[in-house]
Amino acid sequence: MAAFGATVIRAGRRFLSSLPALFGVLVFTFLLMRVLPGDPAVFFASGPNAGKEEIEVIRKQMGLNKPVPEQLMLYLYDVGSGNLGRSMMTGQLVTKDLRERLPASLELTLTALLIALVSAVPLGVLAALRPGSIIDHGVRFFCALGVCVPTFVSGLLLIYVFYYLLGLAPDPTGRVDIFASLPPRRTGFLLIDFLLAGDFDGWWAAFRQLILPALSMALFVVAPLARITRASMLVSLGSDFVRTARSVGLPWWRVVVTYALRNAILPVITIAGIVFSTMLGANVLVEKVFSWPGVASYALDALLSSDYAPVQGFVLLMATVFVIVNLLVDILYGIADPRVTIG
Amino acid sequence: MGVTGSRRLLSAVAFVAFSLAAGSVQAQTRAETLRYVTGASVNTLEPNVPGSTREAFAVSLSTYDRLVSFGRKQLNGKWVFDLSKITGELAESYEVSPDGLKMTFRLRKDAKFQDGTPVTADDVKWSLDRVVTAPILGKAQLLTGSLTSADQFKVVDPLTIEVTLPKPDKLALPNLATVYPIIINSKVAKSHATAEDPWATAWLKENTAGSGAYRIETFKPGEQVIMVRNEAWNRGTTDKSASFKRVIVQSVPEPATRANLVERGDADIVVDLQASDVQSLEAKAKLKVISTPQYNSVTFVSMNNQIPPFDNVNVRRAVAFALPYDDMFKAALFGRGSPLFGATWADAKPSSGAYPIPQPVKLDLDKAREYLKAAGMPDGFSTTFSFNVGQASTAEPMAALVKESLAKIGIKVDIQKLPDAQMSTQINEKKLPFFTEGIVAWLPSPDYFYRNFYTGNQRWNYSSINNAELMEIAQKARFEPDAAKYEEDGRKLNAIHFTEMPQIPLWQPSQDAVMAASVEGYTYQFHRQVDYRDLNRK
Repeated sequence: MAAFGATVIRAGRRFLSSLPALFGVLVFTFLLMRVLPGDPAVFFASGPNAGKEEIEVIRKQMGLNKPVPEQLMLYLYDVGSGNLGRSMMTGQLVTKDLRERLPASLELTLTALLIALVSAVPLGVLAALRPGSIIDHGVRFFCALGVCVPTFVSGLLLIYVFYYLLGLAPDPTGRVDIFASLPPRRTGFLLIDFLLAGDFDGWWAAFRQLILPALSMALFVVAPLARITRASMLVSLGSDFVRTARSVGLPWWRVVVTYALRNAILPVITIAGIVFSTMLGANVLVEKVFSWPGVASYALDALLSSDYAPVQGFVLLMATVFVIVNLLVDILYGIADPRVTIG
Repeated sequence: MGVTGSRRLLSAVAFVAFSLAAGSVQAQTRAETLRYVTGASVNTLEPNVPGSTREAFAVSLSTYDRLVSFGRKQLNGKWVFDLSKITGELAESYEVSPDGLKMTFRLRKDAKFQDGTPVTADDVKWSLDRVVTAPILGKAQLLTGSLTSADQFKVVDPLTIEVTLPKPDKLALPNLATVYPIIINSKVAKSHATAEDPWATAWLKENTAGSGAYRIETFKPGEQVIMVRNEAWNRGTTDKSASFKRVIVQSVPEPATRANLVERGDADIVVDLQASDVQSLEAKAKLKVISTPQYNSVTFVSMNNQIPPFDNVNVRRAVAFALPYDDMFKAALFGRGSPLFGATWADAKPSSGAYPIPQPVKLDLDKAREYLKAAGMPDGFSTTFSFNVGQASTAEPMAALVKESLAKIGIKVDIQKLPDAQMSTQINEKKLPFFTEGIVAWLPSPDYFYRNFYTGNQRWNYSSINNAELMEIAQKARFEPDAAKYEEDGRKLNAIHFTEMPQIPLWQPSQDAVMAASVEGYTYQFHRQVDYRDLNRK
């Protein structure tokens, strides 16, 4: 209990110390967007007759007619009061857009990470148990393949095979069949919302939509996870305590799972945390291919059209997610290795 | 045992029958639903909001009525909009006074807004006042039809509205059929107006208050719009409501996925596939492919006439004769469009006064070298050729060919691929020397093209040409009532265009509408989107 309390205090302290970094990210993104060439007002005033007057209207609407320091002050004030501005692209408040899209991205990324972990850890352990064997080479080959094939290629291939040729998968357009009705929004995670609403057909439909994009993302990150599992398993399998455990005649699974794996899992957790944050921001290609209404494709569209507010909001969101994931990794560390909390 | 057995059988039969019935109900609603997929997205329900997308225009055509609309005609066996045939939409009839200064519209007596209240002349006046007064997109559009002030719209009686013009402007009436002058339920809109926003634009962005053929059911900006039919609407060509009960407009960013969807029958119609996909779908002959040259648009290679070396007319001519037109047409568009090169003009005079017309240019490197010599640059020069990311699928192969071909006459070209916002900014600031862009005009008359795309120091004058004679003829032609004289003006303008060669028209790309075999009634519209009201299922 005391150990748990210590973890919470440490997590809180870590969170507070990351606030200046978040602030820095906020200001930096703000300035970066304004330094980039490309005037959003000109881009959005692209009706067939939009002239100087229209450009001025949009500039005023976006607050770009004021000097940059003033814009920054206004923006900081808005962010402080929970307003991230309005997107020109969707015409909605950025907070509303992000609130609707973040669960979609999180659901996809978490599922992909789960698939990746569930397949990568056993693969890594297997490879470590028989280094240099056929299994080891097989795992290495599979990992190399996963990393080499970009996610949009594997995504398009999966679509081609499972949707176009075999007709097994539903059409790859978003989180749920367009003709199906959505459950009442509680968490934003469709799999959870459908369960809460007791709609199992809906849950199955949403699951079917999710599985292909999650697979194509998982394929890409299996490699780092499996490799790191293998490497740290090799170290811990060769260590003294495993030799001792073997010599006292403990059953092999107990040696592997309880002693070796528990000690080997720390770096895997670290990598999983990093992989998760990267996936959340970098799954834009998967989101595009599967028309997934997530945050990454939203941010890319915004960036291409120089739509400042969504890009700034997205970067801030990602930074926050990164901080939270790091905290979570810290806490998991404490659970996996109680020695960590002492420090 | 016997009893339970038969009961089980009975329930099995009932279950099968039930699921069959459910299946057919589902199939029926699917048949009554139009699913349209697109790479773009709808961002507002009010087309006048600055920044609204073309998809938003298309939705507004179904949710709002205008006073009048364009008729349609057949062009090479395909239905296209007809600029010269203007029919009533909310107006039952209209008349234009003999001097062309007054237009009188009689409203339909049975026209009702979607909330059931009748459409009155007051609503029309409020809506038109709004378009010419509020800081919204329609203002600049209606300006091109001499509609500039609220004083021009007068309510005569509850069903009659009168529009007066300062000059007999040919484009005044067609302007009222464009996307922007929507007729809004003024009572509803006014109740949502605020002191800062007297025209309720913020509210109308997310809500509709119209009398159109469809009501909005779901609006998720950037994802999808679902519309259901307004049963009371009868402004279609046959005085009936629209054919499809439901319309789904869904954003699917990946073009290959869109092609799969329509091929598998999950989507009904799509107009923005890649040319290569269209070609393979056409070859399979399972779907209907209707390709219409976008006859109100042009793709150019533009040169900035104010920046050296392109300020020299001979340099521009040299480039015009050094472009590998046929290869570009094949590589960029797979030949899907109508070319604007390789024509022969009798006596070196323009073949017609229309715009655009095929130009007498072709790949002729010797001629190009001569022009370069005449320009005093026999050894060529270096420049950059820019295009935007959004057009990369057609512009990228084209740019490579331009670079290769111009290298043969000594012009060294660097290819520059710019994000869309950056490209439009640089065009607006007149900083790009050499680039490709396209234009489109909703009301494609020659004087309109020349006035908007060849005059003034403004963004759409891509070539930044500043030619006094061209400007004068174009301004005069706008109000020319005599058709023969107008044609003559058009010829003069086309002749100046060829002599000055400010930019090089390449082609009019095709609009490739790919649809399920059962979908009928597709018409190419001025806004280059699908008008969902046109369509029905056989």
